[in-house]
Amino acid sequence: MRVIVVGAGLSGLTAAADLAAAGADVTVLEARDRVGGRTRGIEVAPGSWADAGAAYLGDRHTALHAMLDRLGLKTTSTTMLGASRFSLGGGTRTRDGRFPPLNAVALGELFDELDAVTARVRPDAPWLTPGAADLDALTAAEWAERTLRHPDARLFFPLFLGEMMAADPAAVSVLHMAFYLRSGGGLNYLNAFEGGAQQDRVDGGAHQLCEALAAGLGDRLRLRSPVQAIHQDSDAAVVHTDDAAYRGDAVVVAVPPLLADAIEYRPGLPAPRAGRRTRPGCAVKVHLVYAAPLWRDAGLSGWSVSARGPLLSTVDDSPADGAVGVLTGFVTGAEALRFAALDPAAQRAEAVDQVAALFPDLPAPIGVHVTDWVSAPYSRGCYAALSGPGDWVRNGPHLTAAHHRVHWAGTETSTEFFGLMEGAIRAGHRVANQILSVPAVGRTR
Amino acid sequence: MTVDTVERIFSRVLDAPQVGPETDFFDQGGDSLLATRVLSAIARETGVELTIDDFLLAPTPAGLARTIAGAGR
Repeated sequence: MRVIVVGAGLSGLTAAADLAAAGADVTVLEARDRVGGRTRGIEVAPGSWADAGAAYLGDRHTALHAMLDRLGLKTTSTTMLGASRFSLGGGTRTRDGRFPPLNAVALGELFDELDAVTARVRPDAPWLTPGAADLDALTAAEWAERTLRHPDARLFFPLFLGEMMAADPAAVSVLHMAFYLRSGGGLNYLNAFEGGAQQDRVDGGAHQLCEALAAGLGDRLRLRSPVQAIHQDSDAAVVHTDDAAYRGDAVVVAVPPLLADAIEYRPGLPAPRAGRRTRPGCAVKVHLVYAAPLWRDAGLSGWSVSARGPLLSTVDDSPADGAVGVLTGFVTGAEALRFAALDPAAQRAEAVDQVAALFPDLPAPIGVHVTDWVSAPYSRGCYAALSGPGDWVRNGPHLTAAHHRVHWAGTETSTEFFGLMEGAIRAGHRVANQILSVPAVGRTR
Repeated sequence: MTVDTVERIFSRVLDAPQVGPETDFFDQGGDSLLATRVLSAIARETGVELTIDDFLLAPTPAGLARTIAGAGR
């Protein structure tokens, strides 16, 4: 059996590895000159890597842990010790732990409301949730306007949603927000470092996963091969790049929905992959590099939360050996769109100025790296596509349904751990099983 | 407010059936996010608004019941 996989991110490469292991003749086509998709490593100092894309994992991410074991990769704990810095109005303050200096009862009410709406969602098929149409008609911003009374809850909600799912509350439906939180293990699991979804990082960088999977595929992988069209007839599917055509019994499209819709399909799809209101996930990651994790000397964890951008939160992402200090700044939601439109010098200046205000004892960073996922033409956003009002109800039923010989992967096709590396891997395994379970009749020889 | 009431709130928020008067919230999987949900429940049921620092100083049902009684005076 011949299978063409479109996209060499974690999901496509997982599918390709499974299919190759089952004896299929696999070709992987990747638009970029690298593998990894929304995982990407940057070498911040000789031999020291930071995750410019997906970074964190927890114990419930069982498919990812199994893959790490199989590939011989290790994890490193994200444990944070020390005090945090908060700039949430009225100056910058230092506090023990990660809890912001806001009214705790008001935040409790926010989390109560979020938990209640999250509990309502049918996680395996959000579009079949009782009352789905109503939940999908409202944006998260409108929901907050109606639901949250205390100013501290209203201040914190967009920061929380930005951190959890790189979303501007005005861009996502309540159904998508509730589904995302539920899919990732619930509010508390998704928010937590220790014991939660940010418990660990991949030692040396998450990009190693895709590099190791790609190494196993050898010359079955073609870089710089953006797919333009997929044509099918009763005998085969043919995948067209600018200068070549690849004939297969089955095709896996493992790219985000906005990119899947940029491919021309013949016959056409019964429904587009993205909804009318689907937008790119809004995340820009800024890495500030220091000779060592110097903030620890002052008893600080590196964690900060700010109401004003660009860096709405920062976290210590230094390599485990402490050979270099890495402070990662997250620019998310509406702020990411503003920041992404600045020129590189202005981005750098804003980030450096803000860190100087948050951590006045730090020297100037020895390196600044800005990774803009919003504008990345072959990702169109990060962490994951954001579904706006109406999108889930209209598009959900088509999520994993094959279009004749064309099958769908990518983290956005996983109702489990949607938007995370774990979701990408589960979708890759799922699509490989889907293809391998099709009877051999009608395959090309 | 009785210790029993706080035990019931702990049990619900932690999704843990076994909560006693001296159960430490943070030993049972609690964290600061969940702690705020205990505080919102206490505020709803008693009208007493405690801070996260109040919680950290007495993270057991018996301890919080004493704090609530003190705040109500």
